[in-house]
Amino acid sequence: METLPHILIVDDDREIRDLLARFLERNRFRVTAARDGREARRAWSAGHYQIVILDLMLPGESGLDVARWLRSQGNVPIIMLTAMGDETDRIIGLELGADDYLPKPFNPRELLARMRAVMRRTAEQIERKPDGDRSVLRFAGWLLEPTRRRLLNPDGVEVPLTGGEYELLVALLDRANKVLTRDMLLDLLRGRQAGPFDRAIDVAISRLRRKLEDDGRNAQVIKTVRGGGYVLAADVERV
Amino acid sequence: MSNGSEPVARRPVADATGWVATLRTLGRLLRRGASALMPRSLAARTALVLLTGLGVVQAAGLAIHALDRISLDRAEQQRETGMRVVAIYRSIVETDPGQRDNEVARMRLPSGFKVALTPGPQTADLDPESLQMQHEMRTNLQMMPFPLHLHPSQVMAGANRRQHRFEVSMHLPDESRWVSILFHVPPPNLFSSPTFPIAFTLMIVATGILTNWAVRRLTAPVRTLAAAAEALGRDVNASPLPEDGPLEVRTAAIAFNTMATRIRRFVTDRTLLLTAIGHDLRTPITRLKLRSEFIEDDELRRKFTADLDELEAMVSATLAFGRDSANREPLVPLDLTALLSTILDEAVDGRPDITNQVGFATEPPVVTIKARSLALKRALANLIGNAIVYGGGAMVTLKPAQDFVTVLIEDDGPGLAAGDLERVFEPFVRVEASRNRETGGTGLGLAIARNIIRGHGGDITLANRMPNGLRATVTLLA
Repeated sequence: METLPHILIVDDDREIRDLLARFLERNRFRVTAARDGREARRAWSAGHYQIVILDLMLPGESGLDVARWLRSQGNVPIIMLTAMGDETDRIIGLELGADDYLPKPFNPRELLARMRAVMRRTAEQIERKPDGDRSVLRFAGWLLEPTRRRLLNPDGVEVPLTGGEYELLVALLDRANKVLTRDMLLDLLRGRQAGPFDRAIDVAISRLRRKLEDDGRNAQVIKTVRGGGYVLAADVERV
Repeated sequence: MSNGSEPVARRPVADATGWVATLRTLGRLLRRGASALMPRSLAARTALVLLTGLGVVQAAGLAIHALDRISLDRAEQQRETGMRVVAIYRSIVETDPGQRDNEVARMRLPSGFKVALTPGPQTADLDPESLQMQHEMRTNLQMMPFPLHLHPSQVMAGANRRQHRFEVSMHLPDESRWVSILFHVPPPNLFSSPTFPIAFTLMIVATGILTNWAVRRLTAPVRTLAAAAEALGRDVNASPLPEDGPLEVRTAAIAFNTMATRIRRFVTDRTLLLTAIGHDLRTPITRLKLRSEFIEDDELRRKFTADLDELEAMVSATLAFGRDSANREPLVPLDLTALLSTILDEAVDGRPDITNQVGFATEPPVVTIKARSLALKRALANLIGNAIVYGGGAMVTLKPAQDFVTVLIEDDGPGLAAGDLERVFEPFVRVEASRNRETGGTGLGLAIARNIIRGHGGDITLANRMPNGLRATVTLLA
């Protein structure tokens, strides 16, 4: 018999724990629930988990402390449940190495999709890098701050990006100086954001070039490769 | 009996009320006239009152001075002319009677004097003031040291002050003729001094300038107070008034700051309350969302989920309202043009049907401002989203100016009733037409947007376009 993926849920609300466990079990997961950091540690030593769903607001020891402890234990993917839309919490969560975050109240199906995406990435070894993952990237004078999803131009002025543009830029930066075909880019991007990013890659590339002040005809940063592909032609430095 | 006396008794009363009414009307007219003449600004009014007062004092002072000068000058003039008259008489009387005509002809006279030897006194057309003049002349003659037998046997004098003409006739003691001296003395002129107009003008100008300066200085705190009240209306976190200056101004500033603090605390308390409720609602909504997954009936579950999403949107807007009131995000340099194109791109992503109705009206210039990027994005995205939902499209114009940047967001929808243009910014206010599930929001979007923009030192206003459509004008500090 196939072994079901084992999930650890850490949340202080008993109802949510129980309901989430039931929901996930129905969707073919094995679930262990913990109500706080102490129980989480005990559960951690008793089993082996594919993913941890961690509430940021826990009584006593905070979710961030638990996340830090989990990180020191290994590379298990963590999905953080944060206060609703609160930027600071999200940033801190990502800085501490959560793989994804979901604001409460979340849609259970959305959580399921995120869990599957994180697990697939882990399985495919795509985008899973050591903790340096969240460090600031510098290329051609520009800075990309992954924790804040911010792009700064050489003058230090923030240039806002759409979600799709950001993901595309990250994908290109992660594979700087390597040619990526449209199909490869589509694959990489769908893994994370299925919904909004269904426009043609070419449109997204041209928008991104405009934001990077990279002249489309004579692009220097994102170059078009004959035969249908793009390459980010710049040295990428992790700062 | 009362019937008979009544009309008699009533008349004076009626007359009295008539008078009172007339006086009242007059007073009202005067007041209206005065208020029409009164300048509008406090500074100008104070200056007017001060200058009027100063003018009256000045005029009185000048009048007192002039009266003093006049009597002094006149006395001096009289003494001088008296001496001259006596001197002329003396030189004639001391001459031999036969030589007197020659003496008169040879005599060098001061200007305005005429001398003649006449058979009788020549004081016909002169007025009764002459008596005083005669007395003065006699006194003058007595004071002059010359022999008594040469004194005139008779003195007649007259004056016509209106024409400034004077005449003295003195009967020579040794013959029948009279010495008639006619003289014309100009009235004393106060303002004949050449420095007087210069000094007077200088004084008036100096008084005007000083009054203007003093009044402006004194009324400055009122303007500061008005500006502070205006700033507080826009942003409760506006910086407090400086508590210095004269006692009354300081007291007013302290009172104002206390009021501002109370308002701020009140607003903060309400916002905190709202935020707390929002936070506490997250857990039950999460539970309900999970529970809804166990509803077997697909249709019911779909409706359940839709309701919960709506509820969540409201709670999340409420939390955003509280969060943006707190202004926690730092100000950073931001590419406003890129922000707007990001919002526009996100709005049309996956909606090819509106691609032609959403975008920049003209090629935008690159504009960099200092802003809270997430908050500003939320505010502008809300305005653009509204234009798309209610107006079917959003055309954006970016216009940089000297100190500020204007963003126009225009649509071709039905616009708003004139009375709603301002009301829609109030929290939880939605215009009637949008109260349906497809388009109805939480009623917080515009309140949040205005909060955010005002927190950036700018403002949002809405106006209807001709012939139809709505224009949102956002101003931001450059």
